[in-house]
Amino acid sequence: MTNTAVRRPWGRTLLGGLTVAVGLAGLAGCGDDRAESTPAAGTGAVTIEDPWVRATSGTEDPTMTAAYLVVDNETEEDVTLEGASSPAAGTVQLHEMAEVDGSMVMREAPDGIVVHAHGGQLLQPGGYHLMLMDLARDLAPGDEVELTLRFSDGSTHEVTAPVKAFTEEGGHYHSPGTAEHGH
Amino acid sequence: MAGSERSGLGRRRFLGHVGSAVAGAAAGAAGGTAWATGGEGGPALGGLGTEVSPYGAHQAGVAAPTPAVVELVALDLRAGVDRAALGRLLRVWTGDIEALATGRPTPGDTEPWLATGSADLTVTVGLGPAALAAARTDPPAGFVEVPSMRHDRLEERWSGGDLVLVVGAREGTSVAHAVRQLVRDAAPFARQRWRQAGFWNGVGPDGRPVTGRNLFGQLDGTANPGPGTELFERTVWVEEPPWTGATTLVVRRIAMDLDAWAMLTRDEQQRAVGRRLDDGARLPEPDPLAHARLAHPSANAGARIFRKGVSYATDAESGLLFQSYQASISEQFVPLQRTLDWADALNRWTTATGSATFAVLPGFERGDWLGSGVVG
Repeated sequence: MTNTAVRRPWGRTLLGGLTVAVGLAGLAGCGDDRAESTPAAGTGAVTIEDPWVRATSGTEDPTMTAAYLVVDNETEEDVTLEGASSPAAGTVQLHEMAEVDGSMVMREAPDGIVVHAHGGQLLQPGGYHLMLMDLARDLAPGDEVELTLRFSDGSTHEVTAPVKAFTEEGGHYHSPGTAEHGH
Repeated sequence: MAGSERSGLGRRRFLGHVGSAVAGAAAGAAGGTAWATGGEGGPALGGLGTEVSPYGAHQAGVAAPTPAVVELVALDLRAGVDRAALGRLLRVWTGDIEALATGRPTPGDTEPWLATGSADLTVTVGLGPAALAAARTDPPAGFVEVPSMRHDRLEERWSGGDLVLVVGAREGTSVAHAVRQLVRDAAPFARQRWRQAGFWNGVGPDGRPVTGRNLFGQLDGTANPGPGTELFERTVWVEEPPWTGATTLVVRRIAMDLDAWAMLTRDEQQRAVGRRLDDGARLPEPDPLAHARLAHPSANAGARIFRKGVSYATDAESGLLFQSYQASISEQFVPLQRTLDWADALNRWTTATGSATFAVLPGFERGDWLGSGVVG
């Protein structure tokens, strides 16, 4: 990747720097996932694409928001997204959508989010997402949020996500009247 | 220009994803490829377009051939949008443009299946006078509003604007989807002022680019400087920092009286244009006030523009969405327009009903953002 110094390493811009070989699933603690690592033939990598964070300016509760992204797993082993953190938020949880008493609610995903070998997983409105809570400040469209994702193979991925407004609230984000966020 | 930048992380991966509870079914359903009209294995229906790289010293859409469908959208900044906010909008748009150009859904796209690769898609962004003022940025030299002309019948609803998007692609779905994403993501900063849709046939029967025809049947753009030539560079691009690589755009909505034009004989039409209608060749002795003669640089102290038009046809009228690109509006577009306003034989059948001016931002490289050198 060239020119990463200039700005926002959003999305694909990041990937060259962050692509990490996790083909050797047992290689836990290969701490420096920014290393230039070329996957061996036949193995792939876990990559993060198209991260973005929902703006909080003007929302009812500006202390929390959601982050969305795409995880690609081109390795031979399943990996699990086990946790995430961000300097912008006091707490980051992995959330899922589940059916409780006949209606869909958002809640913390107890076992993380599995991304199967040679598969991928969308974290998107209406489904899995990262819940950012206790935000340090308002997030306006065009701002940037750093996210660190922790996987079961011990690797961590850092991405910079743009903040975007999102207006399609109903049904995509948190269904009104659900009890998932009691804070 | 028409590079084939591949992000390497293709749409294939996106469509192959396991969606989550709610969105999963829809994502899976869209994982198929074409909706085959003749069943799978039927004959191919036309060729694909190309992927136009969004990166470079100039915004790619300026010099790219005019695609089949083009929409021009003007937006007005909301109150309080300053230089920093404008920069944030341009960062958001940069990410959108990178995604759209490569056929990827923009982040947060609720209709990701509409993102289509190899669509000849380009997005060109310009700043109007009020956006430059809000950003406290000096415009490029010669950036002026077009003075009112005698033949103008300008309407507010087709004029002005603080920002412009020129979105083109090989078909209308990609254009409409791109416009929606860009306007939606601009919502915290700006609201749509006007939106004008046009079409163009710039492809010959053999699939090669040709000079298209406007709705008068005239070949439009015959005398344009050719992209890539030294003349084109000199005509179009601004060279002074921080606008190096920029250009300026004048948009004119030109209503054309097709009924009155159709009443003319072929000879009368050709004399008004100063060109043969079949092949666009200049008449050996054009009338003094023929369009081709008055628009020629020799009649305007050398002033020259790069013109791109797309036609429009609505229930109310038909015409041309005329786009003039030049380094300096005051030294190139204005003298030319004054000459044409004074005497162009075509004025009898054409009327400008909209007008707007924009400073088209320089291009950007991967990792950079659109407008960083101007409002960063």
